[in-house]
Amino acid sequence: MRILHVSAVFFVSACAVLPLLAHHSFGAEYDSNQPLTITGVVTKIEWMNPHAQFYIDVKDEKGNVNNWKLQGYPPGVLYRTGWKRDAFKQGETVTVFGWRARDGSNWAHARRVTFKDGTKLYWGPPANTGDGGEKSVVDK
Amino acid sequence: MKKVGILCSLLCGFACAQNTKTATGKVPRLSDGKPDLTGVWQPGSTVPGTWEEVNTGDGLGGNGTNPNAPAATSSSNVRVAAPYNAEAAKKVRDSFNSRGIDDPSALCLPPGVPRIESVGLFPIQIVSRPEEVVMLYEYMDTFRVIPLNSKHPDDAEPTYLGDSTGRWEGDTLVVDVTHFNDKTWLVGTGTFHTDALRVTERYTRVSSERIDLEVTMDDPAVFTKPWVYQTSLMLRRGTRLREYVCSENNLEPERYDKLIKDNINFRRN
Repeated sequence: MRILHVSAVFFVSACAVLPLLAHHSFGAEYDSNQPLTITGVVTKIEWMNPHAQFYIDVKDEKGNVNNWKLQGYPPGVLYRTGWKRDAFKQGETVTVFGWRARDGSNWAHARRVTFKDGTKLYWGPPANTGDGGEKSVVDK
Repeated sequence: MKKVGILCSLLCGFACAQNTKTATGKVPRLSDGKPDLTGVWQPGSTVPGTWEEVNTGDGLGGNGTNPNAPAATSSSNVRVAAPYNAEAAKKVRDSFNSRGIDDPSALCLPPGVPRIESVGLFPIQIVSRPEEVVMLYEYMDTFRVIPLNSKHPDDAEPTYLGDSTGRWEGDTLVVDVTHFNDKTWLVGTGTFHTDALRVTERYTRVSSERIDLEVTMDDPAVFTKPWVYQTSLMLRRGTRLREYVCSENNLEPERYDKLIKDNINFRRN
């Protein structure tokens, strides 16, 4: 029987992924090939597990307003990365960088949130975490 | 390639940690003279400091006060081979190609050992006493009580975290974990096992700031030999565990069902 080893390829993946392989797959839900940057007004913040989420109203080029949902870390992790409950408020304008959901809905994984004063906080991990990284865990 | 290297440096630790920087500081000891492992620890790290100091920049999230700060560094020369047999390797690869939608943790089920101590996002609190060691995990609000110098109970049944018993070998705490169910992943995507799994953990507090951990996973049903890796945990003074109630708003099962129902291509190939 041929033995297949997880090898140096896995090592690379492991470095990038294992510490963040927490609750669910980024890659299944979100598309790392669809990064987006949107600016809008915060309408709701939900400090919930396993993923905190907030919503912003984003005006498109035609003036239509679309409400976007943005997911990220759980509240405990957010606290340790600098997000206190009063870090942002409903009605505040923020710019969000993240990756869009594969289903094309107004739903995204938020990585970086930039406030009006230029302060940046991280709402979620980088793309391609939690789903085994970019390389196969097993050599062909 | 440089990007990959940086990413590794930022996030590496678990399964990769072999520190080049030896932390110093006296190892605290219990009344019986054994090392005291008590404290709040971050798994998969080799960098001393508070949680906020270490996890800046693009690392495990950045604390926001200085997103351009140099990343936490970590180094490794350990190459880990997961010796799945051919049949098992196919199953691991299938899971990888479906981007891990079959991850048990996506159902908010408890991760097993050693995955529970592999997620650098979440702190682990250890309470060390002469007769037992208690490990409290923020991740999934789970815990392990590890009695020392005792046998596994006769009525132990298969569970997510198995049954643990410990003993001291010199200054190393050796934990034998058996009685697992087959519903967890070991570490990376798809790393399944059977209920024949036996895990041996060796915890050595090498300084006031650091515990080195070697993990051996033995499951003859899926491995051709035991899978061994080394990692470390770093003391995070001032950090406390927070509540993590995974099922509060777990949308993943519904989301995955929708992807499949709507025939949205999320697979790798």
